[in-house]
Amino acid sequence: MTALFVDEYPAEARLVKAAFLSSFIAFGIGALFGIIQALHRTDIFRFIDSIKYYTVLTGHGVFLVIAFTIFFLVGLYQWAVTDSLERGPVDIRFTWFWYGLMAIGSFLAAISILAGFLEQPPMVLGAELRANVLFTFYAPLEANPLYYIGLALFLVGTWLAGIDWFRTWWAWRDENPGERIPLRTFMVLTTMMMFFLGSVGVIVSILVFILPWSLEITESLNPLLTRTLFWFFGHMIVYFWLLPAYLLWYSVLPKLSGGRLFSDPLARVVFILFVLLSTPVGIHHQYMDPGIAEGFKFIAMTNTMFLLLPSFLTAFTVVASMEHGARQRGGEGRFNWLQALPWRNPAFTGMALAGLVFAFGGFTGIVNAGMNINYLVHNALWIPGHIHAQVGTATALTLMAGSYWLVPQLTGNRLVGRQVALFQVVLWFVGIVFMTNSMFRAGLVGVPRRTAEPQYQGFEYDVPVGSMGELNAQLALGGTLLFISAMLFLVLMLLTVFNNDSEPIVDGTLPPALSGPEDSPQVLDNLRLWFGIAFALVVLAYALPLAGIVAQSGLFGQDIPPFPVSSEAVMYLEFGLDYVGALVT
Amino acid sequence: MRIHQYEKIWIAGAMILIVGFIVTITYGSVGLGITMIGDEEETIAPDELNDDEQFGEPRVEQVGENEYAAYVVAQTFIFQPDPIEIPANNEITFYVTSRDVIHGFYVPGTNINAMAIPGQVAELTVEFDEPGEHGLICHEYCGSGHHTMEGLIVVQSEDEFDLTELSAETPDTVAPGEQIQLNATVENGQLEPLETTVNAEIGDQTFQQDLTVDGKSTQNVTFTADSTQLGVGEHDWTVTVDDYEETGTVEVVSNETDEQAGGDES
Amino acid sequence: MHTSPAKLLILIALSLVILVEGRTVLAFFGINIPPLETALIGLVIIATLVIWAIRPLRGSPTKSE
Ligand code: HEM
Ligand SMILES: [Cu+2]
Ligand SMILES: [Cu+2]
Repeated sequence: MTALFVDEYPAEARLVKAAFLSSFIAFGIGALFGIIQALHRTDIFRFIDSIKYYTVLTGHGVFLVIAFTIFFLVGLYQWAVTDSLERGPVDIRFTWFWYGLMAIGSFLAAISILAGFLEQPPMVLGAELRANVLFTFYAPLEANPLYYIGLALFLVGTWLAGIDWFRTWWAWRDENPGERIPLRTFMVLTTMMMFFLGSVGVIVSILVFILPWSLEITESLNPLLTRTLFWFFGHMIVYFWLLPAYLLWYSVLPKLSGGRLFSDPLARVVFILFVLLSTPVGIHHQYMDPGIAEGFKFIAMTNTMFLLLPSFLTAFTVVASMEHGARQRGGEGRFNWLQALPWRNPAFTGMALAGLVFAFGGFTGIVNAGMNINYLVHNALWIPGHIHAQVGTATALTLMAGSYWLVPQLTGNRLVGRQVALFQVVLWFVGIVFMTNSMFRAGLVGVPRRTAEPQYQGFEYDVPVGSMGELNAQLALGGTLLFISAMLFLVLMLLTVFNNDSEPIVDGTLPPALSGPEDSPQVLDNLRLWFGIAFALVVLAYALPLAGIVAQSGLFGQDIPPFPVSSEAVMYLEFGLDYVGALVT
Repeated sequence: MRIHQYEKIWIAGAMILIVGFIVTITYGSVGLGITMIGDEEETIAPDELNDDEQFGEPRVEQVGENEYAAYVVAQTFIFQPDPIEIPANNEITFYVTSRDVIHGFYVPGTNINAMAIPGQVAELTVEFDEPGEHGLICHEYCGSGHHTMEGLIVVQSEDEFDLTELSAETPDTVAPGEQIQLNATVENGQLEPLETTVNAEIGDQTFQQDLTVDGKSTQNVTFTADSTQLGVGEHDWTVTVDDYEETGTVEVVSNETDEQAGGDES
Repeated sequence: MHTSPAKLLILIALSLVILVEGRTVLAFFGINIPPLETALIGLVIIATLVIWAIRPLRGSPTKSE
């Protein structure tokens, strides 16, 4: 057994651990909020005011899909770069600097969200400290400026992390001229290229439009423009959540199955496809938006369908690598090799089940991407069903499973409770199926998402099979299983961290692919080229829609004032009455 | 680059599937003539809605034979008009905008689904085959009362549906001996002429008049009652046209009290 | 033991998942299984799997037939 990561790279291991710690804290709070939502919206157990539901929901979104996923990503990628280049960053102080920015940023955002629970929020930066605007923060809903500042710092920190890994790679290239980029580093660099390109949208949206407007420096903004800029970023970000899982599926899962990756070149192709296609598709989130021509929606749809290709390729490679591993372990037969896989290993089982859910969730994604079918499900509970199958399981469960493998190498401690860990990942799998199945079905009868009380006065849902009560019960049951599973995971992690005087029993070495980089054309490593093409595709997909939106209502819109989301309903009534009053007179 | 045989087959299969999806979806939307929400409509600033010809008074309007337009304003936390009354078996084009934040416009369980974005107007055309009531909800988070934001779409049978509006007025008070004039205005919002009968009652006097209101126009009818005959005191009046009814009171006051006449009643 | 505890656990999980999703698919074809029956079917499946798993192996050295 080779030296552990923590022994070889103690300084880097410290950073990875810090990032994972932030990630897991966010996960814990997010999961707690998740179960509150599951019980509240189904009206099974309501112990908070429905107005506070939106504070909870904002927290659930931000803590889970911003903090949990991205903190884990930076930790994992720091590990991947260090381990595969066999060297640390050029200057570890810079590494801590970006981590610090991310930590401060998420802390500020968290404070501004959680202040929503206070009855008397303090005044900060000239406004009540609140951020009940959900993680999509569609203007003209307005949060406290601190929320936007926090998000911006977090994003800038993530940018710097990417720059840091590029610097590390440049330094490595100088030391190893002519060598191919190691696969894991290649994955990190391409992911970050994708992020650089896609995050421009949200960064411009925050820094140029929303933040100055919330600070009353500018008076108005164009809500369709900021929304479009958000989704410019918004679909790329889903792949940003997913690619850490891909990295684990490509590099760690084959090894856990007892073999090695099937094909290194195809893995590279897959990541390049993500760089090219994951941004020029964002408009598929805006099929229902007025002000964007049908033609652009059509282009986004087509691109989205092609974006299925890398995932199809991944399905093949991952399954093929698992089969190879199983056969190495003595598995035989057409399907019987499945039995030879190391199902006792929670890291393996978690990733395999996550992949299974991902394949299923992918089909629901195709439904969403269909322009016409989308009319049925847009903003219905179907969408959170899809979200939880994908980021909530494909990513989250893979990250948890990966932690069972990686955390012992980062701490030097043996994983506590392997059997419990196995139970934990299986429980997540069962929980997610219960919860998402009910979300899909409820979505199809028209139950909306993002709603504290989806029970209305004027009509009843037309549930063709079963009843609303049954759907609600199933959602709450699934949510409860997930919550228990999440807590088990955190407890195991905590115990492992304190399991000091033990020896880890993991082997951290990753075997090279069956078909190695020597089989892949050199051009795959030409990152400039791919970035250039990706850039051109984004310009093609976005230049005209953005120009159209600006031409229609101007860069700063038509007198759109902020609508601070306060927890006092009274304020809204006043707005409402004003308008009604204005109408009558 | 070495690609395994199976992998090639798989890639080819995946590409076929992808192209298949694109073709199906294209056929399912463009081919079947389903129009999507696009950018056809002019933009409109939220603070100019009140002065706007169409959104100043959110309503349903007939725009052609079997074609109606519904102008809907979404705002925290209501839809206007509410309920939205429309005829079955007719093409209804909704124009939806928002007065404040981004809202949704969604009839659960159907594909009637649009975003109401301040500044923008979403246009979507639908047709209901059957009379009935449909819930309309806001399905985009819009603030603390989001979950209370709902409206109602009432689909009436074609025969039952009309765009008739009735208003009527009399002076509040008249002196004995003066005539009481009851002015009724019947507005026909539909394109076909409306043939109907106006019935009125002032105190115990009844009136009836047949009336034809041309499409998209208004007609006035005046009924006159003699106040002396009715006597001093308050008298109720009623005007009915089809299912519409307007009521009010008129008071006959003796000349000594120096009260102002006039005012209106609607 | 016919299988390892780990595999038994996964088999149970998979069958529950197939039950839940399968019920939805059947509903599309007009075959409705009420919740209570679904739960019962689930229990029966679990019981069968457990019994199958812990049933002694034919010709296993620990037990004679
Ligand atoms: C403890 C387990 C979890 C439970 C019980 C849970 C429950 C829920 C529920 C009920 C909703 C719908 C809320 C609504 O639309 O009104 C929701 C939304 C969402 N969940 Fe989860 N969830 C869990 C874990 C996760 C995880 C692990 C992730 C991602 C890593 C995640 C990401 C999301 C996202 C992105 C949304 C949409 C938020 C929005 O609409 O703004 N959830 N969750
Ligand atoms: Cu997307
Ligand atoms: Cu709303």
